[in-house]
Amino acid sequence: MTVLTDGLDITAQARYALKELEPDDQGTVMNEHAVETQTLVKRYGTVTALDRVNLQAPAGRIYALLGPNGAGKTTLLSVLTTLLPPTSGSARILGYDVVRDAAEVRCRIGVTFQEMVLDPLLTGRETLDFHGRLYRLPAAVRRQRIAELVELVQLTDAIDRPVKSYSGGMKRRLELARGLMTDPQVLVLDEPTQGLDPQNRVNIWSYVRDLNRRRGMSILLTTHAMDEAEALADLVGIIDHGRLIVEGKPGDLIASLGSDVIRVRGNGDFQHLATVATAIDGVNRVETDPADGLALIYTDNGSRRLPAVLNAISNNGFAIEDVTLARPSLGDVFLHYTGTALRD
Amino acid sequence: MYATYVIWTRHMRKFVQQTEELVGLALQSVLWVVLFGVGMRGMISDVGGSDYMSFILPGIIALSALGGAVGGGMVLLDERLRGIVKEYLAAPIPRLSILLGSAASTATKALFQATLMLIIGLLMGARLAINPVGWLGALVLLAIFAIGFSGLALGVAAISRSIAGYHGMIFLFNLPLLFASNALYPLSVLPGWMQVIVLINPATYLIDAVRALAFGVEATLPLWASGLVLAVFAAASMAFALSLFQRSLRA
Ligand SMILES: Nc1ncnc2c1ncn2[C@@H]1O[C@H](COP(=O)(O)OP(=O)(O)OP(=O)(O)O)[C@@H](O)[C@H]1O
Ligand SMILES: [Mg+2]
Repeated sequence: MTVLTDGLDITAQARYALKELEPDDQGTVMNEHAVETQTLVKRYGTVTALDRVNLQAPAGRIYALLGPNGAGKTTLLSVLTTLLPPTSGSARILGYDVVRDAAEVRCRIGVTFQEMVLDPLLTGRETLDFHGRLYRLPAAVRRQRIAELVELVQLTDAIDRPVKSYSGGMKRRLELARGLMTDPQVLVLDEPTQGLDPQNRVNIWSYVRDLNRRRGMSILLTTHAMDEAEALADLVGIIDHGRLIVEGKPGDLIASLGSDVIRVRGNGDFQHLATVATAIDGVNRVETDPADGLALIYTDNGSRRLPAVLNAISNNGFAIEDVTLARPSLGDVFLHYTGTALRD
Repeated sequence: MYATYVIWTRHMRKFVQQTEELVGLALQSVLWVVLFGVGMRGMISDVGGSDYMSFILPGIIALSALGGAVGGGMVLLDERLRGIVKEYLAAPIPRLSILLGSAASTATKALFQATLMLIIGLLMGARLAINPVGWLGALVLLAIFAIGFSGLALGVAAISRSIAGYHGMIFLFNLPLLFASNALYPLSVLPGWMQVIVLINPATYLIDAVRALAFGVEATLPLWASGLVLAVFAAASMAFALSLFQRSLRA
């Protein structure tokens, strides 16, 4: 786990944390980065959408970029997929520079975009076939891939219908299949489950996990859903206001916060609450997000400290609405590093 | 470029499948010829030695190709606004092939429409010269012309932010093209200053050449010059489209 304090360079600690990851589950050593950026900056006029981002996603892993709306996730993926040139800094996919070696990069990546980009008039099969032809895949290969992928994403019955008759979940699955048509080494997914029902979300998660486990595909995805990052990611990068604030294994990020967290929702003087709670024995740290009516009280042992904490808070005129005691989550990590809770 | 061909086939597949567009285009052709032909024939019986139907047909064909180019730009604009164009942009293909694919499908549709119009024109009394090589030449020039106007329309489509904005811009150059040409009246009857304007318009060269090649009318302008003007126009307008398209991607 590392904090990229000024975004200028990744700390020694970060290099260490990433090294640790390298020998993967199968015991092979990955020494190549699927994605690597160096002080990457992207400005739209006066808006700085990416602010000196240093990201390193090892090959063969699932990396989730977690951030709220407007954080710069789509912008980062656009630069990585060669759709947008960076303002300054550089980015490499499998060692190929996204500006200089754009053609090499394009041959090796599969992409799904945040919005659905499907031609409603084509059938599912035509969509996949056209995509394969764009990449000059021979007809026999296209036929075989389509057969495999249609089965993988469970579109067998609908594949010859026009895309306009598909549901949102079916469209997403078709887009995923399209991204996989060229058997990419790196798969880039921008909010792959946005707007899908729980069943479709879980399906997509299982395809993504499968592709990674079975084929060793490197996957970079963005999300603003904590559960998605928790369910999928080997590595998480938290991005806010264009800055990559922290990256690491989810378990490490969470563990760094302490053992237990008491989450208190309610109304009152949050500053005062923080002062009072911090003074209690066994409380490590207090974080508040008054806008959201939320306080997080990190302790060495939640159940033991709970009575003292509640007592102190309510005696000081704070109206408690809800209390939960839990192990910290990625959501708490987000609040810890950005100062605000992540809302969907 | 192979990608141009792939994109062209995609547009064609949609064109053939979408019966509304196909039928619409066919009906449009019929209407143009019938309305223009019948309406104008009542007033003017012959122009410069040829019957009015033969005179007006090349102009109608050229103008309908303009309409086709506007439609082709619309397709790119629609794909841009919906994000479909990202699929092309992330693929290992040259940016130019995306535009050429669009222009090629516009040209194909223009040829389809021209053929229909010729047939209807003939049924309505136009007299085609018996000169198959000339016909072929006329169609080739028409295709080049269609690519040229596709370039302009694609360039505008590449930078338009909305459909209304696109149409507003297109209207600016569409209207003069119709009237400031030799489509409706022969070059020789126009006053000198007007002739200068008409000679800037690429449609004039196409129409003059088609009259000469397909209808056996004596050319007002040398054929080689018309061919050259159209080729240069097509190349320049595709370059224009590419530079605006690339600029829009750098945003
Ligand atoms: N084409 C553009 N022109 C100007 N500003 C833009 C453009 N695209 C994005 N931005 C701005 O850049 C910032 C980052 O946007 P981006 O789309 O990358 O965020 P995001 O993390 O993908 O958000 P979301 O979760 O809403 O998709 C935002 O402030 C956005 O308004
Ligand atoms: Mg986004």
